[in-house]
Amino acid sequence: MGVAEAAALDDATLVARSRDGDMRAYEQLVRRYQGPMYRLALRIVGSRGDAEDAVQDVFLTAWRRLGQLNDDGAFLGWLYRTTTNQCLNVLRKRKPHADTELDEQESAEPRTRPERAVEVNAQLDALQAALRGLTPEQRACWVLREVHGRSYEEIAEAIGATQQSVRGRLARARAQLAEVMAPWR
Amino acid sequence: MAVTSDYVLPCGRDVEEVWEAIDLSDEHMRSCPHCAAVRESLLVLRAATDELVREEVEPPFDLVSRVMAAVRADVRRSDVVPLPGDGLARISTRAVAAVLRYAADGVDGVRARACRVEEAPESTVSDPVIEVELSIAITAGLVTHQAYDEVRRRVLAAASARIGVRLARLDLVVADVLEG
Repeated sequence: MGVAEAAALDDATLVARSRDGDMRAYEQLVRRYQGPMYRLALRIVGSRGDAEDAVQDVFLTAWRRLGQLNDDGAFLGWLYRTTTNQCLNVLRKRKPHADTELDEQESAEPRTRPERAVEVNAQLDALQAALRGLTPEQRACWVLREVHGRSYEEIAEAIGATQQSVRGRLARARAQLAEVMAPWR
Repeated sequence: MAVTSDYVLPCGRDVEEVWEAIDLSDEHMRSCPHCAAVRESLLVLRAATDELVREEVEPPFDLVSRVMAAVRADVRRSDVVPLPGDGLARISTRAVAAVLRYAADGVDGVRARACRVEEAPESTVSDPVIEVELSIAITAGLVTHQAYDEVRRRVLAAASARIGVRLARLDLVVADVLEG
């Protein structure tokens, strides 16, 4: 099977083949979704090393649990859920003092950014700093909704809360973030 | 649907209400300074969020290969064992177990039960090696002293002749003794 041909296969087909032990099919799925999962993890946990570890664990866990996935087409939603869970667990286990190290790490990171005005970059930095000020659950809700465009239903499942509580967390997150952005208005 | 947040403005509206009406400002929004200020902040937030969405943070180049190495290691440990050859052909441990159980069943008074098959640490692509733990039930009156040796001989022969892998270690466990 050629790479181009494999790349065109839909999720459900690749999931069904992976479940039968086809590792090349699974590799296609990993290639397809490592980007969004890595960015989600990075935005929730805030450090590259932890994000990498989380994503690696998520894809290994997903491989082991393919048999439990009832709907082959639901793979992506399932990945979002697993990644969010994994990241929240990482943050729960992290020692309290690690947060300060995290800030330094994050700001020292090289970023691939499209060229844009200094002011826009400053706003983006302010937003990322403000995100770190949210609770992990608030941050997860906000990132899943506003950056990754996931549904309330999915987010509720991902963080193990009701949709009503997801909306509440989102509202608080948004209000807090808007406050931080106020100087640029 | 409006959600009551803790961020209520002096005019009585809350931040979330302003957010929901951000593109269709009504009479109140146009005239209320509190709502206008919050709306401006939310517009800045929305623009910064768009930038965040566009930010191209790529995973490390070797993440896929690391994931797949972990997957392959996991597979080696659990579900399948390699067959001799180019390393592409594999056989599920369940299939191996079925063949080995059948071989053990051929001995009088012996019934194979659980059969756990694992790839041995020394196994290579050109020389696949497995380790097996086979538990059996024996029927007291039928089993002779030589029965265990016979089980061992047949299981070893089946592994090499019927599957093509070398059986480096066979743990035989008598799990049950049935009345003859």
